[in-house]
Amino acid sequence: MKGTRGGSATVEFPSDREVLVTRQFDAPAELVFDALTKPEHVRMWFGAKELEVCEIDLRVGGKYHYVGFVMDGDTATCSFRGTYLEIERPVRLLGTWVFDGRPDAEAMETTELREDDGITTMTDRLAFKDQATRDSMIWVAADGVHADEGGQVALDRLEDYLATSAAAKGSDEQ
Amino acid sequence: MARASTTSDVFNAVADVHRREILDALITGEKPVGAIVNDLSMSQPQVSKHLRVLSEVGLVRCRAEGRQRLYRLEPAPLRPLHEWLARYERAINERLDRLDDYLRDLQGRDDES
Repeated sequence: MKGTRGGSATVEFPSDREVLVTRQFDAPAELVFDALTKPEHVRMWFGAKELEVCEIDLRVGGKYHYVGFVMDGDTATCSFRGTYLEIERPVRLLGTWVFDGRPDAEAMETTELREDDGITTMTDRLAFKDQATRDSMIWVAADGVHADEGGQVALDRLEDYLATSAAAKGSDEQ
Repeated sequence: MARASTTSDVFNAVADVHRREILDALITGEKPVGAIVNDLSMSQPQVSKHLRVLSEVGLVRCRAEGRQRLYRLEPAPLRPLHEWLARYERAINERLDRLDDYLRDLQGRDDES
């Protein structure tokens, strides 16, 4: 079933080293929490294609590990893992977030759910150790695109995009 | 000019929190340096230095009025930044829209039982 909130997620940068994503769902918080933390659910939506690995040990100190395919890649996979540090169903989840291609770029991920009138607002905050790390990981955090090349390609892609947009300046009003 | 590469694009210009504060201070309108200094907890040399960087990338324009130099915000160069963010948001949205659809499917099944 198609939702009516398509494309409504917002992205903010509350500090130099953080990314904050906010999205509402027409579902109770318990269900959203389970969809985020039970492998049988996560498998159904997390990747553009079926996940190769989806392991979740939902307890404090427990680990999760997802392996999926990059969206525009052919055979490349991207692997995310982390450890749960705080679990408060259905309102809060805190854990580490590591992309295997860049183990140095670990982040802390805080997911919070707030239910109001049957609508759950999810905020997902990734906090990296510094701004350079965040900036180099931002595309990996979004969708794993180009994850195989360790996030560096994300910056190249940004650079290419800027060059293209500078060239097209003034002729692209839509 | 070793600094040229770090200040020559809008992304780097707005990466600095003090420069973002100056842009915020100019949202309400044209101001002389002294007024920006008053608004923010920065010294005049600091503000002048940041204004120079912001001018280089075209985010602020300066004009003289009498003995004063007035600075105003020029938002157009922020557009590539905005568009880049929009692309990033689309990528995030693809994933969360799938979660949304999945949650709807789950609840549809729940209604039937």
